[in-house]
Amino acid sequence: MNAQTCSLDIRHYLGAHLVDVFQTMLSINVTAVTDGRPPTFAERVSGSVGFGGDQVTGAVYLNLSAMLASQIAAAMLRLPPDETIGETEVNDVIGECTNMLAGGLKSALCDKGCDCAVSTPAIIRGTSFVIESLPDVQRELLVFDYNGVRFTVEVHIKFNQTN
Amino acid sequence: MPIKILSVDDSRTIRLIVGRSLRPYDCVLWEAANGEEGLAVAVREKPDLILLDVTMPVMDGVTMLARLKEDPALKAIPVVMLTAESGRDNVITIARLGVCDYLIKPFKEEQLIDKVGRAVQLQKKEAAAPVAAPAPVVCF
Repeated sequence: MNAQTCSLDIRHYLGAHLVDVFQTMLSINVTAVTDGRPPTFAERVSGSVGFGGDQVTGAVYLNLSAMLASQIAAAMLRLPPDETIGETEVNDVIGECTNMLAGGLKSALCDKGCDCAVSTPAIIRGTSFVIESLPDVQRELLVFDYNGVRFTVEVHIKFNQTN
Repeated sequence: MPIKILSVDDSRTIRLIVGRSLRPYDCVLWEAANGEEGLAVAVREKPDLILLDVTMPVMDGVTMLARLKEDPALKAIPVVMLTAESGRDNVITIARLGVCDYLIKPFKEEQLIDKVGRAVQLQKKEAAAPVAAPAPVVCF
């Protein structure tokens, strides 16, 4: 199995899957941003879920501003948007959203013959950090908009050449 | 007699959504954050239905399900798996383990109620009962 036989349009798949996750679980509509200009975050929350198998390894990141992360948590928990939500609750919601994104991607990869398993979610918080990919790792960045606020989904993926 | 349901998921958010979905129904809900805790609650409470996540720390859902099926006292409890993984192989693996049904995340609350209602006799709380009163939730 190699990258050629494990062909999956990751951008197309994840773009559609994220819209589905947000619509189904949060009842909110997000749109893919075609100009692709990624946002900058003053305070950032990133959910991450890794996946790995013999043919493929990688990670999915959901990157949002802390404010948007709180709004999304409020929507998922059905709390008033102005209600203060603790970091623990926000982390759990963002972790679960990332888990659903990665779970969907994992399933799509497995259906293409690239068996892999996913990790439990982790959360990164900070005011100034970047997630860099290693050499030979394919990086896909998708930008979305919710009510004029942008956020991103990032996938780092490496297909291992096996005979 | 309320239906006894055990929700096993490492995400508090999902457990909260499960509790919120079941609130209008006559049931008692227990919660556990991983398979190990879930098994302990199952042994103690003998629930009528288990809603079980797949990927969890400590003990995952597949391992917990296998343990349930090994236990003569627990193997008949219907299990509905909740999973973010919808791939063909994953679904086949889950089906072979003897689950009653499965639900792919993301899901709508009505889909969850539909799956639960197929496994157990869900009844709405009587109209006279206070609507705002939540179903009792017992955290492990």
